[in-house]
Amino acid sequence: MKAAEIVQLKEQALDEARRSGTAADVEAVRIKYLSRKGVLPGIMDGLKALSAEERPEAGRRANELRQELTKALDDAKNALQAAERASGQKRFDPTLPGQWRGLGRRHPITQVVEEAIRIFSMLGFTVADGPDIETEYHNFDALNTPADHPSRDTQDTFWLGPGLLLRTQTSPVQIRVMESRKPPVRIIAPGRCYRRDTTDATHSANFHQIEGLYVDRAVSLADLKGDITFFARQMMGADVKVRFRPHFFPFTEPSVEYDFSCHVCRGRGCRVCKQSGWIEISGAGMVNPKVFKTVGYDPETTMGYAFGMGVERIAMIRFGIEDIRHLYDNDVRFLEQFG
Amino acid sequence: MKLPLSWLRDYVEFDLTPRELADRLTFSGTEVEGIETIGGEFKEIVVGEVLAVDKHPNADRLTVCRVNAGSAELTVVCGAPNVRVGVKAPLAGVGTVLPDGTVIKKAKVRGVESFGMLCAEDELGLSKDHSGLMLLPDHARPGQPLSELLPPPETVLELEVTPNRPDCLSVIGMAREIAALMGKPLRIPEIVLPESGEPVERLTGVTIEDNEGCPRYTARILSGVTVGPSPAWMQHRLSCAGVRPINNIVDITNYVMLECGQPLHAFDYELLEGRRIVVRRPRQGESLQTLDGQPRAIDPDMLVIADAGRPVAVAGVMGGAGSEIREATRTVLLESAYFKPQDIRRTSKRLGLSTESSYRFERGIDVGGVEWASRRAAAFMAAHAAATVAPGVVDAWPTRAPTRRVSMRYGRARDLLGIDLDDAGMSRILRSLGFDLTVRDTDCDATVPTFRVDIDQEADLIEEVARVHGLDKVPAPAPAARLVADADDRPTRALLACRAALTGLGLTEIINYSFLSERLLSFVGYGSPEARLVLPNPISTDFAVMRDSLIPQMIETLGRNRSRQAREAGLFELGRVFGMQPDGRPIEDDRLCVGLMGSVGRTGLGKAQAVEPEDVFQWMKGGLEALCRAMQVPTSRKGGLSRPGIAFEEMSAPCFEPGRAVRVFMAGEPIGVLGLVSERVRGEWRVADPMGVMELRMEPLLRHALDVPAAKPVAPYPGVERDVAMVVDDATTHDAVLACMWQVAPPELVDVRLFDIYRGKGLGEGRKSLAYSLTYRSMERTLTDEAANAMHDRIKAALRQDLHADIRES
Ligand SMILES: [Zn+2]
Repeated sequence: MKAAEIVQLKEQALDEARRSGTAADVEAVRIKYLSRKGVLPGIMDGLKALSAEERPEAGRRANELRQELTKALDDAKNALQAAERASGQKRFDPTLPGQWRGLGRRHPITQVVEEAIRIFSMLGFTVADGPDIETEYHNFDALNTPADHPSRDTQDTFWLGPGLLLRTQTSPVQIRVMESRKPPVRIIAPGRCYRRDTTDATHSANFHQIEGLYVDRAVSLADLKGDITFFARQMMGADVKVRFRPHFFPFTEPSVEYDFSCHVCRGRGCRVCKQSGWIEISGAGMVNPKVFKTVGYDPETTMGYAFGMGVERIAMIRFGIEDIRHLYDNDVRFLEQFG
Repeated sequence: MKLPLSWLRDYVEFDLTPRELADRLTFSGTEVEGIETIGGEFKEIVVGEVLAVDKHPNADRLTVCRVNAGSAELTVVCGAPNVRVGVKAPLAGVGTVLPDGTVIKKAKVRGVESFGMLCAEDELGLSKDHSGLMLLPDHARPGQPLSELLPPPETVLELEVTPNRPDCLSVIGMAREIAALMGKPLRIPEIVLPESGEPVERLTGVTIEDNEGCPRYTARILSGVTVGPSPAWMQHRLSCAGVRPINNIVDITNYVMLECGQPLHAFDYELLEGRRIVVRRPRQGESLQTLDGQPRAIDPDMLVIADAGRPVAVAGVMGGAGSEIREATRTVLLESAYFKPQDIRRTSKRLGLSTESSYRFERGIDVGGVEWASRRAAAFMAAHAAATVAPGVVDAWPTRAPTRRVSMRYGRARDLLGIDLDDAGMSRILRSLGFDLTVRDTDCDATVPTFRVDIDQEADLIEEVARVHGLDKVPAPAPAARLVADADDRPTRALLACRAALTGLGLTEIINYSFLSERLLSFVGYGSPEARLVLPNPISTDFAVMRDSLIPQMIETLGRNRSRQAREAGLFELGRVFGMQPDGRPIEDDRLCVGLMGSVGRTGLGKAQAVEPEDVFQWMKGGLEALCRAMQVPTSRKGGLSRPGIAFEEMSAPCFEPGRAVRVFMAGEPIGVLGLVSERVRGEWRVADPMGVMELRMEPLLRHALDVPAAKPVAPYPGVERDVAMVVDDATTHDAVLACMWQVAPPELVDVRLFDIYRGKGLGEGRKSLAYSLTYRSMERTLTDEAANAMHDRIKAALRQDLHADIRES
């Protein structure tokens, strides 16, 4: 087919496209001209039969036909749809509820644990694990706890049998890690702990702690303060401060308790911090040389710090949860508030 | 411990407000839990003398009093039971503000006008006593300001002393801390002891039978005592410290205990058989009535103070009623001793009896200060109980513990604390706390004072330096990330990936306790009762057994949410389960539990559709498959195409609907269960909707989570889709169809999709129609229709032959 004929054919096709009254008409025109067995592929095939002079012009015209017809068909389709919308047969309502399976949520306790893992990972800490059912040796003896220390009472500890108990702290993981490897050690150990506390707004017999341990040749109380401060700022907000108060724990010497400045009132005093500007977090200190001796580390060439923190406590402060029991009630309305 | 500040000032000077002092103490290791003011200025409160008492016309319990207020006579309505004509009591006139802020107004009380109030002690903030009017002494003059009759207001700090610091359980001990903190001298009182008469050795003797339990025992004899009230200043200090005044002898022993931390005991010398002391273990069958009137069974491994015949006190805990100080007591044997802390703790615990004395002994008192305390008390008794002090003291101290010496390297202290404090600064701190120092070039030897029972290594001295220097001076440098070369964080990453996949599936995480009630476990009926770990001392029956499966609490959680009107829930828990092997070794295993309830698998308007139990089962299974894909559980070619290599086997358990539960296998290894919760169990929470649960072991599930997949090329050629619809026996499973197809499937068969199931008319009883869409695609070429048809025909032939399928040709 020569170029002039193609132009003529194009005008005819465009006319048919414009006159299409329904979507089916539009489709019929498309099939007639553009489908695999339609008119246009036939023209393209026929180009081979033309002379070398005629062929380029005919080819251009054929391409024009395809482009202009495609556009005309699209326009016709759009015009039909617009007309349909205008006629009100099927109104589009963008305010209808969206439909997609939502994402689930992580438990607030988990969020704090995962956040702590993330933060301490930046400093080169990795997670260590230990059993919930512990030996008296790992939970008390090796941590330099006196044989008649009140925390060993059946009043406070869930004993399972002679020398066997539910761990009262995550500190036994320290011992297990140090028993199994040489320094340097840089671990955190999140886990469940158990104490025979009567449940109330701030106590739970089943609770979570995150233990931290850093042992190397030269580790100082200042390093502990720096690292805890870094954690506090990552977890609670950029301007949170940390303060240490001397305290006593058998497995650290010196021992401290540490507080975060209140992230709600920025230290001015509010309900969350009971007007003090500070929130008590947990205990920490420099590993007692007696503990190093117990695990076979040389206390002369080794220094280390250890800290513990209550996960529920941090979750409660971070999310403003007033009663620890909410964390174990597993009410979906409660849980769905957390990302 | 209660620390009255005016008492503290006897031994150390300090120029701090109570708040400032409290902060200094808290930040040096003695936490101040409260600051309390006892008494007040009592402006406008005067002495009132009751002149007349009449019955209130309208109230039985009230009286109408005429009160002489000095300048005037007032009518006051009073409710106190001890109001009588002639008594003198604090009178708060109209306009007076009481310590709690109450303003006294002229008021009609049941119809009678009252012009003031006669006060009880609690109304003045002096004590908690509200039993009656506070009676004032006879010499009080009507109209005299009350403040002239009372000691000035006292500020008392409530201290929380850590168990390692028994030396802080006394006023002098705290004064020593403050002296060290403030760089002020500590003033220990000088004792001038007038002695006369027969020497003490002739009057009594002390035998210690158990020198380990009682390393040191001293006795003094004080004769000619007059038992009566102790001086007012002493009574006031005792009250402020929370100790009730009794009589001069007992008050003096308590006063000295509070002052220096040494518990003392006074015996009536004349009631001691043989007039001597034996410190020993009780003999078989001996018992004792303690001062509180309780008969006490005493074990052979407790320590008692006995006279020649019988026990007269439980050592270090409480005296006996048979030798206590009476009004008639004339001669006192004063005990000041040191008992082994562990013994006292055990005894106190066994007797269920904790006293100010046992509290101090069990933490460890100052063995070197035993005699000083005795001398101090004797001097007070001479001054305030007219006692004649027998010359000398019986001091049984057979084996002195060697002096403790601990050395400290100054450089080590700086390194461990990360502070910049010079050697002299550290030495000054240690000396101020009572350590004797021998200083060398780079270290020092510290002689540990006997009252510091907590110091036995270098780190202890470093802690002293740190806490007195101030932890606020410890810098907080920017953290340095230091990596441990062989650290392995793979388990953590696998777990995080698993949790991310679960929340991605739309499941919300729950956390339940590790223990639960026997009742719930048995009711749900899943787990292994023979290996169950029952707590010997649970806090309650609700938390009595360690969980051996996460399923019971998952069902309970779903049920509880349903009863709180949650229509649906999709939950998971990652937790540990427990058990006990027959040989007594514990079992711990980490599990994943998933629970679905209601229309959780649908979206939008689809949620309105009724949920069939099979729907929930399939959602559970779909979730499991998606999770397995995320966790890279190896796929299996057998029985399926690009499906995780998990298989099911029907099982039953009381918590599951019969025939609606399966055991889950991964590469032939059982890894968990999946099933629909039975109506019986759901009924407990009135859940009518279908509920499904699944429990898997974490270890196999996470085994491949971090595997690095090897990329496979994607076919560059289009695929060909061919459908097959067939009618088969209703018992023919989807898996059987897949297996059959797979037997003859060419490598080009890349996907099989079930798109229709139909049962009903026209098919006949026990038959169903299944329709599948199969995709053939080659890695080498574009498949021709003919080639695809040939492959498809082979599969249809196999279906006909193996499954007797009636293939419907379209
Ligand atoms: Zn605040």
